[in-house]
Amino acid sequence: MYSLQRIIVSLVVFFSFSAAFCDNPFLIKGGPGEAGMGSVCIMHSGFWSSFSNQALLALNDSWSAGFNYQSRFNIQELGTTTAAAVFPAGNSSVGLIFSHFGYSEFRRSMTGAACGLQLTESIAAGLQIDYFFENFSADYDSYHSVTFEAGLFFRPSERVSAAIHVFNPVPASLRNTMMPSTLRAGAGIQLGSTIFAGAEAEMSTGEKLILKSGLEYGVSENLWLRGGFSSEFTSFSFGLGYMLRWLRIDLSFVTHERLGISSAASLVFKIK
Amino acid sequence: MKKNLITILILVFPGCLYCQEKILSGEILNIAEELASDENDQETVNLYLEQLYELRENTVKINSSDETELSRLFFLTAFQIRSLADHITHKGPLESVYEIPLITGFDRAVAEIMAPFIDFSHTFQNDRNRMRCLHTLLANFMISPGENDTTLAGSSFRLLTKYKFTTGRFSGGFTSDKDKGEKMFDFISGNLAFTGSGMVRKIIAGDFSFRSGQGIHINTGIRTGLSLTSAGYMAVRNEIKPYTSAGENNFFRGVAAQMAYKKAGMIIFLSHNNLDATLTANDDSSQYTVTSFQETGIHSTSSELNKKDAVSETVLGASLTYRFRSLNGGITYSGSMFSLPLLPEKSDPEKVFDFDGKTNHILSAHYNSLLNRLLLSGEISVSNFEDIAMVQGITLRPCDRLTLNMLLRNYSPGYTAFHATSPGSSSSGRNEQGILGNFRFEAARHLFISAGCDLSRYPWLRYRTSFPSVAKRMELRFSYNPSENLAADMAFSYRYAMLDEDGGPGMAGIYESENKIFRARISYRISPNLALLTRFDHKMVQPAGDRGMLFLQDITVTLRSVPVSIWFRYCLFSTDSWESRLYAYENDLLYSFSIPALSGKGSVSCLMMKWKFMRRAEMRIKYSVRSVMKDADYFSEKDELKMQMRIWF
Repeated sequence: MYSLQRIIVSLVVFFSFSAAFCDNPFLIKGGPGEAGMGSVCIMHSGFWSSFSNQALLALNDSWSAGFNYQSRFNIQELGTTTAAAVFPAGNSSVGLIFSHFGYSEFRRSMTGAACGLQLTESIAAGLQIDYFFENFSADYDSYHSVTFEAGLFFRPSERVSAAIHVFNPVPASLRNTMMPSTLRAGAGIQLGSTIFAGAEAEMSTGEKLILKSGLEYGVSENLWLRGGFSSEFTSFSFGLGYMLRWLRIDLSFVTHERLGISSAASLVFKIK
Repeated sequence: MKKNLITILILVFPGCLYCQEKILSGEILNIAEELASDENDQETVNLYLEQLYELRENTVKINSSDETELSRLFFLTAFQIRSLADHITHKGPLESVYEIPLITGFDRAVAEIMAPFIDFSHTFQNDRNRMRCLHTLLANFMISPGENDTTLAGSSFRLLTKYKFTTGRFSGGFTSDKDKGEKMFDFISGNLAFTGSGMVRKIIAGDFSFRSGQGIHINTGIRTGLSLTSAGYMAVRNEIKPYTSAGENNFFRGVAAQMAYKKAGMIIFLSHNNLDATLTANDDSSQYTVTSFQETGIHSTSSELNKKDAVSETVLGASLTYRFRSLNGGITYSGSMFSLPLLPEKSDPEKVFDFDGKTNHILSAHYNSLLNRLLLSGEISVSNFEDIAMVQGITLRPCDRLTLNMLLRNYSPGYTAFHATSPGSSSSGRNEQGILGNFRFEAARHLFISAGCDLSRYPWLRYRTSFPSVAKRMELRFSYNPSENLAADMAFSYRYAMLDEDGGPGMAGIYESENKIFRARISYRISPNLALLTRFDHKMVQPAGDRGMLFLQDITVTLRSVPVSIWFRYCLFSTDSWESRLYAYENDLLYSFSIPALSGKGSVSCLMMKWKFMRRAEMRIKYSVRSVMKDADYFSEKDELKMQMRIWF
């Protein structure tokens, strides 16, 4: 298994790729499609990015459901499993997401309900209510917490998109446990019909600012290649996506300057 | 209470998504933050923002073509004022802000700065309107709900009240201010003014401010040349204005008159005012002397109350000006007499050159001359016929796309002018020699590059610097304004200063402090009702190697159905030390401002709502919370609630 991973990494490192990984452990940063682009996701529409910036939910036009598994550094205890569904309804869409991280000694699960609304032809906004449950081994208490995140997406021109997103902008005094807040802003451009390039800035409570950039290249109608860079841990990322008729498969690989590679795979079903 | 407030605000916000507020330009806000970062001169930022609020409330009638009226836009250069007046006189009135960049000497960036402060109405109103009495009443109430300091003399809220009336040529008003911890009506100021168009141009009874020349002799208003890269360094003005600020020290109280006859002008004034000061008794307590003035205007503890109005100052002065063809010149005299002698602690080497005695006489002469594309201006002033201060400036506009400024100053260590606000980097207007140069260049369509450099030398000791020292400031700024909806700017600034090194007893070592700040800001109006601003700051402090970062997002929204606008800010900051702190201007109530120093690791959340109702009233409410991380699981929080009601009839 380890040698297989080395082979894959040897292949992809040539193209430059990366993995920004969550500075804020409570924040969902999309699926493999986004991770492959250096986690540049808040202005690039897609199934998983709709839960990174809920405004993007409004751009979904079909009922879909997806499953995602992320393996951090190939350590089983650091794996995250996520399931989500999107239900479009005219100018708005509703999304549900469930995510689980950890192992028997520590678990963190998140359940979120989101809504995205198209305000005008070029502006969309979205909101998600999150419920977190953290469970430690028997000797410690469990924690429950509720917060919200909100995003705004807009198109300054036909080819340019931009967005802002804020996670947990709630004063710390309202909760018993520490939960970092995160602010993100980014912009992307469609270059020709096959290339999308984007850049994003992100900062979480008490942390330094992270700059990220990513690229997606449509090799054919069904195949996408992705690459990205994040200033956090000087990480590169690579990903690819393939679309069958009603199934989309995405893979990503993200490097960390000290800890190795994180990989992720997802399946998204278009139901209607 | 805090939890309830926050919950209400969080619930209210997502429901309202649209807004249209005249947004202050990035350049204006940069200047405010730069001024706020100067710990030695907090009064200037106060004055600066108050002047902007005043302009916002009482906008400049740009089509008047009257240079005095236009010069209220204090950030414009003499070139620009003259050019604007000429344009309106010869080509007729302006109809919109989009015409301003087409005038010689102006560009889109300057038009953007001006936009919130001008109106395009035609000046000639009918007599009935002019004689109508207009009243404006404003009350600001501010409180920090989480704070309860029982050691203060008064209650913990701040209350500011302003009233103003105008009827025909007469105007007047009062200002009352109670700071946090003070007793009610701690400061009251008022004035009555007459404005004429004949020989008597203005008479003010009560509190007033006065400015002469470049301000090295008298300037109780804002100082010239606020930002290193701003063009307005060469403003030479002689004016008296009613004083409406809440600042409690630097103003005159008495009578002032401004007269003009043909090309000659004259201002005379007499003032008697009480000042806060620290007094010291001599050995047998028979005589008190003033060792220092207290300029904070805060009287919330017994020691501060003891210093309140401890000494009185009587000032009389006169200024004469004459206008030749392209040359304006003038001389000004003022004499200050204190009720108690000033006797600073001369054993402190820093204070060797400080003024002592009861009387200070100052005589100054100033000029400015516009020769085609060259503007020369200067002022020389002498205090007590001993110590000299001088300033000389040159502005050159070789082509429409380039403006160059240079300012030379030399303020001797012993020069004393109690009401001066001199151009340059020092707030005291003494003990400084320096040269400053800057330029502004329109490099391409919509792209502006400006840069400035200021080199200062302090021949004598000063605060926190126990040796003659030097300081440097440099700034490079790129502004890109491709449309009225989008503005982006990036700036890099460098500061060098010599300070005392913290250490043990004995002679202080030299600590060379270097600050490098990078700023990027982009503002975008998505729709007429929705505007965004994103900003990032990075600061590096040497030799400590500390860093500071700031990332903020503003959303300004105007509701469509009701006359309500909402401003929301979320800001995250992370700094390694107090030295690497950063400043971020916050929208606020009128006549109140907030530019907090952000230090540590934390966040700032602000929400402000403005509601205009019944056509004659406006209410603003602002709630802000600042959280700073103390350790991994503990935050210290400070919240503030501000309310404002403004009525006009």
